[in-house]
Amino acid sequence: MKPAISIIRSSAGASPVAIALGLAVLAGLFLFPQFVQSPYALHIMILIFLSVIMGEAWNVIGGYTGQYSVGHAAYFGAGAYTTMILLQYKQISPWYGALAGIAVSLVVSLIIGSICFRLRGPYFVLASIAVAEIMRLSAMNLKDLTNGAEGILITEIPHLKFGDTLITDFLTKVPFYYIGLVIAIVTILVTWLMQNSKLGYYFQAIREDQDAAHSLGISLSLFKSSALAISAVFTSLAGSFYAIYIGFIDPPTVLALDISVQIVLICIIGGIGTIWGPVVGALVLVPLSEALRSNMIAQGIFKIGLASEESGVGIFLKEHLSHAHALIYGILVVVVILFMPDGVLGWAKKLAAKKGKE
Amino acid sequence: MTPILEIKQVSKFFGGLAANSDVSFHMDEGMIMGLIGPNGAGKTTLFNCITGYYPPSKGDVLFKGQKLNGLQPDRVCKLGMVRTWQKVRPLTKLSVLDNVMVGALCRTNSLKVAREIAHEQLKVVRLDHKADFIAGGLPIGERKKLEVARALATKPELLLLDEVMGGLNPAESDEIIQLILDIKKAGAITQMVIEHDMKAIMRISDRIVVLNSGEKLAEGSPAEIVSNPEVVRAYLGDFHA
Repeated sequence: MKPAISIIRSSAGASPVAIALGLAVLAGLFLFPQFVQSPYALHIMILIFLSVIMGEAWNVIGGYTGQYSVGHAAYFGAGAYTTMILLQYKQISPWYGALAGIAVSLVVSLIIGSICFRLRGPYFVLASIAVAEIMRLSAMNLKDLTNGAEGILITEIPHLKFGDTLITDFLTKVPFYYIGLVIAIVTILVTWLMQNSKLGYYFQAIREDQDAAHSLGISLSLFKSSALAISAVFTSLAGSFYAIYIGFIDPPTVLALDISVQIVLICIIGGIGTIWGPVVGALVLVPLSEALRSNMIAQGIFKIGLASEESGVGIFLKEHLSHAHALIYGILVVVVILFMPDGVLGWAKKLAAKKGKE
Repeated sequence: MTPILEIKQVSKFFGGLAANSDVSFHMDEGMIMGLIGPNGAGKTTLFNCITGYYPPSKGDVLFKGQKLNGLQPDRVCKLGMVRTWQKVRPLTKLSVLDNVMVGALCRTNSLKVAREIAHEQLKVVRLDHKADFIAGGLPIGERKKLEVARALATKPELLLLDEVMGGLNPAESDEIIQLILDIKKAGAITQMVIEHDMKAIMRISDRIVVLNSGEKLAEGSPAEIVSNPEVVRAYLGDFHA
């Protein structure tokens, strides 16, 4: 039970301190590649941007509207495949390819919406998974279009030119860094605009109680489809961006169920239905998964002297910890969900509120 | 004058069970219609048929002369008819003000206008002091008021109240009764009220329809209804009649 006295609206808008801090972070992000040239650091940042985009996108339909789609790989894959097919077989620039991907994803979202939104709760979840799986199997088998299980490999990314001046040739990670950063910022801005509009109110009303929302003049089919469409647009954009950045796609990397689950996790870990939740989720999950995969944890343990590298435990950690990264990742996710049901952000807010009372 | 609401031989079947059969009555503008009947008489089902949650199996519902059959609840609300819920349905994680704003957004796209309407309606139900509280934290009496404020914010011409006094203490009930009478006095809104509290329903209703086992048992003024032997029998059994 929530206490009856909890008040959720703060009367003032963002404080000047928060605005200044936000601008500083933004400036820092834009200057980051000037100071850090390490491709690995840039790579991690780009993965974080991707996660932010996907998380914010899912948040619109899952967090705000309360329709837990576990089939968002469908839009991610639609964006990725459309962009890659157009680039590789028709030599169409990825900029247009990404737009075409958005169009395809919108169509897919309308079809999925018209089928799945008849269902509520767990049935909607299952239907969303099923549709994404249909897409994956189709991509596997429509070999003429998608090259099947072999996937599509980019041979060359067309250079970005403005008139005759070359802006970038995409040879380093820096242009990808900026593209990812800009899309992430736009996604956050769109979410913010949505939250502070009629759409945001209607989405949340649907999440809280569909029947009540329906009785108050909210067309469930229209607004659920709108939420899914907004979500699909940005997920598709993330898919296109990922495809060009990595340069290779096949059904298991862009259309598989674990992509869908990853997307949901970003929001659940960070804090569902809030603007900054997916950002926090991405900041937690991406470094965590990288650290586990590259065995940084074992090295950290050796460094602080908890175990020596030559001891039995040390050898065991060195040999096996990185192989068990998925397992540890899973356990950590379960722990977070158990002890922070409102996500890291919700937990931090509660902690701050407690501190404030004392 | 066309009645604001006309129910023509409405029946609703669930499989073989007739939750409503052949119910007909009409309502004139500005009146308060009481809808009573023992538990399971089909009162809430009739509300659901009128507001679009179920299409009636047979018969017609006419609102301001327009047939509603098959119209979804959101369309019905846009036309000017709104209902509250017997089991209250607050949007729990939103603030009280936001709850009412969701209703107000039915008539406007501007959050600013919606906020003004919402404050106005919260004043009407005397809940303005709780505007910034989370709806899920309100006690039952205030949740019922919130239901009414949210419905009023959609600017209805016809308001259907499903047991707004259920579970309230006498003081809270009195407040709701006064609220219903005030709405009537203001003149723009016609009301249909489902209620179990006989004293209250007799006090507020201009006319009363009695349902029993899905059928209309009687219709008339409160005085006619209390002296109707069939109604007494339905409530108290043969012995008392």
